[in-house]
This record gives sequence, C-alpha cells and structure tokens, in this order.
Amino acid sequence: MTSNVIPGPVPIPLPAPLWLIELLQVFTFVLHLVFMNLLVGGTVLLTVCSYLGRSEARYRDLTRRASRVLPPIMAFTITLGVAPLLFLQLVYGQYFYTSSILMAWLWLAVILLVMLAYYGIYWFSMQHEELGPRRFWVMLVTTILILHVMKTFTQNMVLLERPQDFYPRFFTTTVGNFLGPHDMLVFARLSHFFLAALALGGLGLAILSRSWRADSPDLADWARRYGTRWFQIGTGLQFIVGPWFLFSQNPNMRRAFLGGDRLDTSLLAIAIILAILAMAAARKSPAVSVFAIVGTISLMAVIRHLLRLAYLDPHFEALPVQGQWVVFAIFVVLLLAGLATIGWMLYRLFRPAPARTASV
Amino acid sequence: MLGGGIVIAIIAILHVFVSHFAVGGGLFLPLTERKAYRENNPALLEYVKSHSKFFILLTLVFGAVSGVGIWWSIGLVNPEATATLIHVFVWGWAIEWVFFLVEIASAFVYYYGWDRLDPKTHLTVGWIYFGSAWLSLFIINGILAFMLTPGSWLETPSFWRAFFNPSMLPSCVVRTAVAVALAGVYALVTASTLRDVGLRVEVTQYAAKWVLVGTLVIPLAGIWYIASLPPMAREISMGAAPAVTIFAGLSLFFSGLIVTFTYFGPYQNPRYFNLTSAFVIAVLALSSTAVTEWVREAVRKPYIIYNYMYANTLRLEDVPRIRQQGVLASAKFVHFHKVDPQKLAESGEDVFRVQCASCHTVDGYNSIRFAVKGWSGEMIDYQLVHLNELKGFMPPFVGTDDERRALAAWLINLNPQPVTREPVTPGVQVGSAETTTPGAAKP
Repeated sequence: MTSNVIPGPVPIPLPAPLWLIELLQVFTFVLHLVFMNLLVGGTVLLTVCSYLGRSEARYRDLTRRASRVLPPIMAFTITLGVAPLLFLQLVYGQYFYTSSILMAWLWLAVILLVMLAYYGIYWFSMQHEELGPRRFWVMLVTTILILHVMKTFTQNMVLLERPQDFYPRFFTTTVGNFLGPHDMLVFARLSHFFLAALALGGLGLAILSRSWRADSPDLADWARRYGTRWFQIGTGLQFIVGPWFLFSQNPNMRRAFLGGDRLDTSLLAIAIILAILAMAAARKSPAVSVFAIVGTISLMAVIRHLLRLAYLDPHFEALPVQGQWVVFAIFVVLLLAGLATIGWMLYRLFRPAPARTASV
Repeated sequence: MLGGGIVIAIIAILHVFVSHFAVGGGLFLPLTERKAYRENNPALLEYVKSHSKFFILLTLVFGAVSGVGIWWSIGLVNPEATATLIHVFVWGWAIEWVFFLVEIASAFVYYYGWDRLDPKTHLTVGWIYFGSAWLSLFIINGILAFMLTPGSWLETPSFWRAFFNPSMLPSCVVRTAVAVALAGVYALVTASTLRDVGLRVEVTQYAAKWVLVGTLVIPLAGIWYIASLPPMAREISMGAAPAVTIFAGLSLFFSGLIVTFTYFGPYQNPRYFNLTSAFVIAVLALSSTAVTEWVREAVRKPYIIYNYMYANTLRLEDVPRIRQQGVLASAKFVHFHKVDPQKLAESGEDVFRVQCASCHTVDGYNSIRFAVKGWSGEMIDYQLVHLNELKGFMPPFVGTDDERRALAAWLINLNPQPVTREPVTPGVQVGSAETTTPGAAKP
C-alpha cells in the first residue's frame, strides 16, 4: 500500500551520475546558506539596532552604513538558492512537489513575501535618512516576512523527508491548505538555523566594519566588537539548541551521529570543533573565524544531506543515468567564466580609483 | 476557486512584461549611456542614471522573484511536466543560472558603479549585463519553445535536439524584438517625468523609436514563428477555436494601437507627451503581452509538451496501459484506487481530480459545473467518449469504462436535474456499454 501511494520519479534518465548532482547540490547549497544566514541575521540585527538607534547615535550610524549591503545580500540569497533547489528537484522531485502541493498556498505565498521583503530592504536602504525612526518598523516587518519564509522552507524540507505522511495528510487536510508540520523537529531545526543566522549576521557586521575604519575608526572598532558578540552568543547558544535538534531526530538517525556511524559522528565532531575555533578566534583573527565557520556550514550541509538520504532511503527509487557530458562541460566552463567575470567587476568596483566626472 | 492555470498565467504574464524589459532595458542602458558620452550630453547621462535606478528596482526585485514564482507555480500545478523539463534540461537550466548570476551581479555593479567606475569600464559592465540577460532569455526561450515543438526529440531524446527545436530560433527573435519594444515603453514612462523640456522631448522621441523598431520587427518574426508551429496549433489560432482566434486578433489589434499611438504621440509630437499617455501605451503593451502569451499557451492544447504529454500530465506512451488498467489504479492521491460501484459519484470525483483538475475547477475558473450545465447523462457520456474529437483542445478521456461512468455520475450530480428526469444517484449507471465503441455511440 505504501509504495503505491508514494510518487515515483519521472521515467527519464538522470543527465549525470547521482554523486555529481548531489555534490553540486550540496556545494551550491552552502553558497546559499552563507548568504541566507547573512540576510536573516543581518535583518534581525538591523531591526534591533534600528530600535536602539532611536536613542543612541552609534546604532544609527551602524544601520545607515550596514543597510547599503542588504540589497545585494538579498539578491544573492535568492539567486544562489535557485541552483540547489534545481538539483533537489532533479533527484527528489517526487517528494518535493508532493510536499509543496500539500502546503501549496503557504508555499506560493513565499514568492509574494520575498518580493515584499525585498522592497522593504530597498526602502530601508535607499530611504534610510528620510524614514527617520520609522525605519525600525520597516525593518521589523521585513524581518518578520523573511522569518516566515524561513519557517515555510524549514517546514517543506522536513515534510519532503516524510513521504510516509503524504497519503494520510491527503485525507486529513484539503490539498494545498496544509499549514506545514509543527512538531518538535521543525522548531528545533528552525531555532538551530535562526541562531546560526544571528551568528553569521554578527560576523558579517564584524567583517563589514573593517571597511569603515578609514573614515570612522571608533564606529568601526565598536561595530566589530558588537558584531563579534552577536557571533559568539549565537554560536554559543547552539550548544543548547544543537543537542535539542539532534534529539528531535528519529532515534536511528540520532544514534548514527552519537557513535553509531563513524563517518556521521566524525563529521559532526569536526563541525563542532570548527565552530568552537571560530568562536575563539572571532575577536583576534576574524579571517580564521570566517574560514572555520564556513567549514562548519559546509560540514553541516553534508550532514543534512546524509540525513535526507537516510530518511528517504526506504522510499527512494534510483534512476538510470544517461550523461549529458558535453552540456555539462559547457556549464562548468561557463560557470568558471561567469565567476571570473563577477570577480573582475567586483575588483573594478572596489579598487581605489579616482571618482569619475559627470561628463566626458 | 482559482484554477492552477490562472495562477500561473497571472504570475507569468507580469513576469514576461518585466523580464523582457530586463533584457531590452539592458540594451537601452549602455546604448543610451554611450550616446550621452558621444554627444557630450550630461543631462542625458543623468537621465540614464535615474532610469537605471527604476530599472533595478523593477527587474531585480519583481522580475527576478516573479521568475522564481513561475517555477514555483508550475511545480505546484504541473509537477510531472516540470519534472520532465528539469530532467531533459537540467544543464540548460544550470547554464541559465550562471547567466542569471552574472546578470544580477552586473546589474548591481552597473548601478553602484556610476560614481566609482570610469566610463569605459562602466559601459563594459552594461554590456556584460545585456549579454548575460539576453543569454538567459536565449536558454529559457529554448526550453519554452520545446514544450510547443519538441521536434525530433520525440524520436531521439537528446538535449541538443530538445533545445534546438523547430520554433526555438523564430521565438527567440520575436522575444528579442518584444524586449526592444518594451525597453522603449518603459523609457517613455521615465522620460515623461523629466522636468527639463528639451531633454524630455529628446528622450521621448528616442524612446519612441525603440517602441516602433521593436513593434515592427515582431510581426515579421511572428510570421516565421507561426510557420514553425505544428499544423493543429496554427489552425487553432486561425479560426478553429473561436476564443483563441479572437485573442490572436486582439494581440494584433493591441500591437497596431501601440504603433499608431507611439507614432502619432511621442514620435511625432513629443512635446505634448505626458505620464498619462505613457501609461496608456504601457497598459496596451501589457494587454498585448497578456493576450499573446495566452494564445501561445492555448495553441499548445491539448498538450503541455506537444505529442508527449497531455495538459493533464498524462504521457501519450502511458495511454494504452491506463485505458486497460484504469487511471485510478496508478493514481497516488485518490480515495479510491478502483471504482466503487456503491460510491460511484465519489469515485468519479477522484477521476475528475486526476484527469480534469489540471485545467478545470468545480466552481471557479473554467468551472466544470458550468461546462456540463443542462447536459443529460447520455450527453455527458457521449462527450467523454468523444472528448478529443468534439473539443480538439482537450485530451481524450483515458480510463476504463467504469471510470468514465463514475466520472459521468459525478458530473451529472453537479447540477440539479430537470423534474422530468429521475435523479441520478450513486450506483446508477450512466450511459451504456455500447458507448465505449465510438461508432455505436448514441448521440
């Protein structure tokens, strides 16, 4: 009965071996995660600072300067999210589409909410001075919208790993009206991501503040310490939420990460050690901290992928492979060329150069 | 209430209207910037600068997010077709993602670089933006054209055959011309708000040329595009389906109005052109986009991927098997995996959900209750047996005789029956066994 109600994949071969697609999925997901964390953490941080900025000038200076980097962060969070979702749909489409359809309205609302949040960010950034104290409300609403999107994503990603729940759900809720799972695992996962975002937002501020040193050394120094504190508190609290998240997993999965499986346990242990290193290095050497925390994020993305494989294992149907190698090679060449082009443009934008004149 | 199709249509039409501007505007910005440098015209340069702000606020936010929105909505409404496209074109999409990445990055660098980059580098960034935006259109256009003309991919599946399909090139030319015309339309809007009268007149006339050039190329490329379509798709747009023909006519009508208004308005009399007139042209352009995209979608019926998958996501290759085994047997999300004679209408509702709900709602858009109003049981059954023959834009009914009768039983219960007829109750067979043979069907 179960196999009859769990959707199968489309009968078209995979255009590359599974390992390659999954590697790309995890790699692009890490890129998305970095920007997503900066976005979520950044908006929360700027909401808090906008509130405090009503009475303290240094918070106002901080929000004014930091608000400029939010639009590109938002743009790259979205753009870098497209690739992992594409590869996810290629391999796990049958689960993803079904879970999305069950909560269709909530899922579709993501588009509208992201659009509104994006305009909120532009409003905050472009009209920062004109908004005055109202900027707190703009950022608060924007942050709530973004957090709601984050919650919807978490719910859908949890639901897609539970294909055994799809058919019973079909009987209990009108298709499309399901408001997503609301259990301990969802909240633990959400809290874990939220804290990671606060930490990365803080670290992002600490790094960004370095570019303010030339004209506002005091502000830059204070913002670096302030951002580092967010990073350390956010990461430190993971030592409470992390175990909660681990213990909300299915007992078999939990055991695998607590010594049951050597690879799983080692990955988790290294990720935690790197997070501790990142915390310790944050004040003295931010570069080490960035490398360590990107290492943690990458390992966590791998762990998350292994968990998905384990949850879907009883239902997963492998497809035959018929490699489209020429197109793949073109993709790789274009990706490298594209990254080089972006690198060149950013280099030209940020290198010190005399300002242009209006007319030529 | 809202059918899936209408959700996709709303998002897609608005997206097309903005995303083509993202491409055409990408050509407009560096060309106009270059013009300003060559003519040593700082006022024009200031206009390009302010236009670029409007441009990124519209294209980077609404354009980019609504593009993701189309992906969201097609996955919800037509997961099988979306999954098929992803399996065939995943590297194409990955390549498009690279262009998208460069497009977004270059748009930011272009906008934030006005005061930081030297003119030559700034222009180069503008060209990088246009190149990546157009290449993004090139890839998506190939995938979209594939749905209507999969061509030789049907015999020999390969990425290249799928991508370089018969209507890909003409469709790409049409879309590029649309992008140029829309660049002009949006420029008319921003130009009409300029305070400096001399500059307003200059930019208005300049933008009008973009609209006229784009709009004059569209019909020429359009003829080429129509010639590349499957014969049935051509017939549907040229008389076989009145609604589609009317919309195709409206598309020409709106385009004609745009050319006339633009020629006699901003091109001939730029001095009298104002924001209201610019909005009139923009609304006409949106209307033209809406009806044209609607026609392009409509002529693909009864398929979602021509000659491969019907609009209700049934693969043609699966039809013989499903006729034999039944549509409920292989369906996942149904209450009944075979017709329950005691619950005939309820079983029929499941058949409706699997086979009809991709396009029909019960009471909302394309309402099935309205479609079968006044029909007798015999009429419904006859229609189901001959569905694709009587309504060329609909797929055939695919299922067992029992499933068809169950669907008919559910359909007839949707509307109150005339007093002369005995009410149909679940379990009562509608139609008769003979109707399964089309030749023997009772009218």
